[in-house]
Amino acid sequence: MKSGDLKMDDIKNKKLLLVDDEREIRNMVDGFLRKEGFTRIYQASDCADALEVCRSEQPDAAILDVMLPDGDGFALLSSLRQFSNIPVLFLTAKGEDEDRLLGLGLGADDYIVKPFLPRELLLRLTAILRRVYSPPQQERRPVFRLGDRTVDLDSGVVQYRDSECALTAKEHTLLSKLYDHRNRIVTSDALCQTAWGVNYYGCENTLMVHIRRIREKIENRPSHPEYLQTVRGLGYKLLVQGD
Amino acid sequence: MGSAMRILKRFIGATMLISVFLLIINFVLLGVWGFTGINKGQSPMTVVQNVAAGLQRTNNTYSLASASADLLEKNLAWAMLINDTGHVEWKHQAPDELPSVYSLTDMAKLSRSYLLDYPVFIWEHEAGIVVIGYPKESLAKYQHILPTDWVSSLPLKLTALFIINIVLVLLLSVLIGSRLIRSIHPLTKGIQALAKGNEAYVEPKGILTELAQSVNGASALLQQRNDSLKNRDEARSNWIAGISHDIRTPLSMVLGYSSELEENGDIPPKQRQQAGIIRQQAELLRSLVRDLNLVSMLEYEMQPLNKKTIHLSVLARQIASDFLNNGLDERFELEVSLDDKEDAQIYGDERLLTRAMSNLIHNCIRHNPDGCRIRLHTSSNKRQQSCSFIVADNGKGVPQHELADLLELPYSSKRKHPRQNGHGLGLPMVARIARAHQGQLILTSDAGAGFQAELVLPSCS
Repeated sequence: MKSGDLKMDDIKNKKLLLVDDEREIRNMVDGFLRKEGFTRIYQASDCADALEVCRSEQPDAAILDVMLPDGDGFALLSSLRQFSNIPVLFLTAKGEDEDRLLGLGLGADDYIVKPFLPRELLLRLTAILRRVYSPPQQERRPVFRLGDRTVDLDSGVVQYRDSECALTAKEHTLLSKLYDHRNRIVTSDALCQTAWGVNYYGCENTLMVHIRRIREKIENRPSHPEYLQTVRGLGYKLLVQGD
Repeated sequence: MGSAMRILKRFIGATMLISVFLLIINFVLLGVWGFTGINKGQSPMTVVQNVAAGLQRTNNTYSLASASADLLEKNLAWAMLINDTGHVEWKHQAPDELPSVYSLTDMAKLSRSYLLDYPVFIWEHEAGIVVIGYPKESLAKYQHILPTDWVSSLPLKLTALFIINIVLVLLLSVLIGSRLIRSIHPLTKGIQALAKGNEAYVEPKGILTELAQSVNGASALLQQRNDSLKNRDEARSNWIAGISHDIRTPLSMVLGYSSELEENGDIPPKQRQQAGIIRQQAELLRSLVRDLNLVSMLEYEMQPLNKKTIHLSVLARQIASDFLNNGLDERFELEVSLDDKEDAQIYGDERLLTRAMSNLIHNCIRHNPDGCRIRLHTSSNKRQQSCSFIVADNGKGVPQHELADLLELPYSSKRKHPRQNGHGLGLPMVARIARAHQGQLILTSDAGAGFQAELVLPSCS
């Protein structure tokens, strides 16, 4: 967890641009972000102002409102994109689906509809910053323990005492998906789609065979699974302790 | 075009019927008149035969039977007997101007035509030839001389004439009828468009000018009504969208600051708890604003649908998993039985359908605070080309007579009972999402008998 802390500090050092025509909203978000440790926050109340700040301060991320006095946030994003690739998060009172799709289609990284919980904004913002600015070696697939076995998703190997057992490509894909959503139910449809693509419908039986093979590699008693559990009628759940 | 063809067929049929009827009437009348004309009184041939039979010779004198004499009287006719030598042997009321001797030539003439302009008829008698004459200009004598093959081909010719008549009538009626149809065609098209609620314009010309103007008038009126209805719906929907938009910013502040206060360690626990209550209520308001906007868009058919093919069971599994993953209270038991073999597919908006299904499950949870068993299943009806998503609980249920109310919007005049808890938009929203997908929401329940909601949607193959 130490490397994570370091990274968190990096993230809080990022320069943020906050664009909203309501001063109260700007102040509230500003105050909240400062309390969470962000220090370099710039504010703008309209498009022209925002573009000027972008040119002079070159922020690392922007939070944009959609309705601004001198244009909308979508146009602002388009002009911003001409000279900058910074991640953008829309924070808007317009909640209609088309607006959401338009915003994301223009290359926004996320879209939050007002009213919002400050915690939600913080989580999404840090997720974006982490995704965009984390060094590439952080992309390594994790290694985790299941009882007395160790699963290394990076090399695709399950270690048990002194022996090693390799996962096939499909088993690796399925186990990765289950690990990404560990301790949560993953529907069999989602697993099939991950492993077999778009026309996955009706491959539950194939999935069952693969799950059985994975269990043989990671469970002590494959017929009475302890970690990779079946949720009847829905899908599977990978139980990982001490996360 | 179907109705135009029907009109044309009817028209031709009626014309043919009338023509044939007229033809028959004419034939019958002609026959009746001819027959009665020819047989007016006694025919000259029967009179002359009668006279020849009634003329008796006794001792060189002739006597006419009184019946024959009466017959001549009645016909205003005279009679005479010419013997083999050409002399008049006997006469009865014959005019004086008649000659008393006739040559062979005279006989030949009078047998064919007239004797001094008297129409005469002859018959053979043992003593010579009986001649009877009618008053001048009372009868016309015609000689019909016909070739035998002409007579024998007469039936054929008559049939041909009849057929030619029929064909002519048919051609004429098709011609006139199709001209009529062509002039009616724009009108029928206009009326059909009106029936579908579309805009119609018929160029006013010809005999149907007035009708065309009426159709155009009706179309304009309909369009105007539609427009004003649409404007009103749009205004209402925009009004709600505007209000919900304007509520969002102040609500952001309430939500933001209250949640910040709730997490602030410098504040006494009691005040933090109160801030928590403010935050919870603000979140309720948030969901109300969001739902209100969606329901209003659905109600006025302004909600765009991003449709795609969806497997109902896949969606149901996803939603059930989401509920379980987000920590369903252990008082509730979620049972899922989906039939994958039926493979029910629908063409719909995934977000809206997810919303509808979640609403149904939330509904079971909200109205059964003591816990219940919730059963999800899907089914498909091949015959009706529909499939269903069913959420059933074994909770306290709703009295049957209140079920219809649950689908009406809160504060609607159609609602007989006031809502009991929640903002009351959940089920109306599901019903409207179903309607937007050409489906329906069927509720089955009674007090203490659990609650079942069935979302029926048209399936796609």
